[in-house]
Amino acid sequence: MKKEFILMEQVSFSFGRQQVLKKVCLSLEQGISYALIGKSGSGKTTILNLIAGFLKPDEGTVSINGTRVLGPRKETAFLFQELGLFPWQTVEEAVAMPLKLRGGKQEAKEAVYHLLEKLGLEKYGNKYPQELSGGEQQRVALARTLIGGPDIILMDEPTSALDAATKEELQGVIREEQQRRGTTLFFVTHDVEEAMWLGQYVLILKEDGEVEQIENPYYFNKDAREQLGFYEECIKLRQLLKMEKEG
Amino acid sequence: MFVKNQCLGFVSFLIFWEICHLLLNTHTVPSPLETLAYMLTVPGKLALHCGASMLRVLAAIGISLIIGVPAGMLLGVNETCKKLLSPFLYFIYPMPKIAFLPVFMLLFGLGNTSKIILMIWIIIFQMILSVRDGVEQILPVHFKVMNSFCATSGQRYRYLIFPAILPQIFSGLRISIGITLASLFFAENYAATYGIGYYILSAWTKMNYVEMFGGILAIGFLGIILFDLLDSLERFSAPWLKKNAAER
Repeated sequence: MKKEFILMEQVSFSFGRQQVLKKVCLSLEQGISYALIGKSGSGKTTILNLIAGFLKPDEGTVSINGTRVLGPRKETAFLFQELGLFPWQTVEEAVAMPLKLRGGKQEAKEAVYHLLEKLGLEKYGNKYPQELSGGEQQRVALARTLIGGPDIILMDEPTSALDAATKEELQGVIREEQQRRGTTLFFVTHDVEEAMWLGQYVLILKEDGEVEQIENPYYFNKDAREQLGFYEECIKLRQLLKMEKEG
Repeated sequence: MFVKNQCLGFVSFLIFWEICHLLLNTHTVPSPLETLAYMLTVPGKLALHCGASMLRVLAAIGISLIIGVPAGMLLGVNETCKKLLSPFLYFIYPMPKIAFLPVFMLLFGLGNTSKIILMIWIIIFQMILSVRDGVEQILPVHFKVMNSFCATSGQRYRYLIFPAILPQIFSGLRISIGITLASLFFAENYAATYGIGYYILSAWTKMNYVEMFGGILAIGFLGIILFDLLDSLERFSAPWLKKNAAER
């Protein structure tokens, strides 16, 4: 029997007078990767912020593993669209920070270099973010997200600012790390192809708060991007989104 | 390269001074060579006066940092404090602080305390405002990052707020050094035995312009020493700023 790990029940949320979410229900399993798509302004990022504990719902509840989310939790990591790397921290310092914040100074250096090596960043330990390319910065932010061994990774349009080649490279790293670690991944994207490549399930957030869940048959297929069927699925998904936009 | 540039700048200044001396042809503007030669005859005396001024300047800047940085941070992070205290700061900031000198003399006596407090009074508001603005310029996503890692309030200050405002602290310090050195002339013009401000004023009243210009030059040298110290401190404590500048 499937057990929900992240659960949103009848969640409503407003920014002032503007209602963003209306009675949204969502149930996500542990260790699975979910992509959330929907039209602009439908409240996708708000859902991420509610799960992260940055926002509190006006109505309804958000819970993780049976515990109600009342604020940020240490086991949930967030990869921000703007990355949020500090200009004063070297790559090594940035990636070590989550461990240091938990008081684990001794094991930090070894763990950091192990992860940097995995993400192809070992040469950049002493560099500052502003000395790196966009793709390298994105990988540093990903390393900082992964270092603490989170059980949930939330990502807000993780590759939206990248060129096509760098985007593909980073998507590969995210996909590999998620599958290897078995972390629950929940991300928001505008890119249907990215949703199909990184999400085991694609969730479509509808206007009325309903969430449609579609299983991605190509998720475990490493060569999906070489196959026509993958792109046919993307087209179907785009059409679904278009229909949703047109009401 | 840096030392070479500084020497070049100093020599250009001396040439400009020499031109002024020749054009004006008055004993109130002595020749730079004559002034430098005079300074070499009284190195011990000048060092004593410069040392006394340096101690006052460092004490004023140190105390301003100790009070100004936390106060600026508080104003930057706490909206209520900002709303309550900002109007007071804006009111005091443009006032000619030197006008408070008699008040400080009356309250704190004629010794070093009133001199140092006057200098603190002159620079602290600018320090508080720079730090406050520095905190306000921190990107919201940086606070969100710290939130997502469940950072405590202390960790937020250590890893985010303090490093983020270091550039503002250094630029505030640069301005403060300039202002405190200039205000020495006022702060040391009463009840002082040592101090470069006192030295200049004493030479002025004696109409010894070579000695007076010697004192002015000495303040300039003090400025160079303090600014160089500050640059070294900045390179050591905020190395990313240097790298940013190099990239530009």
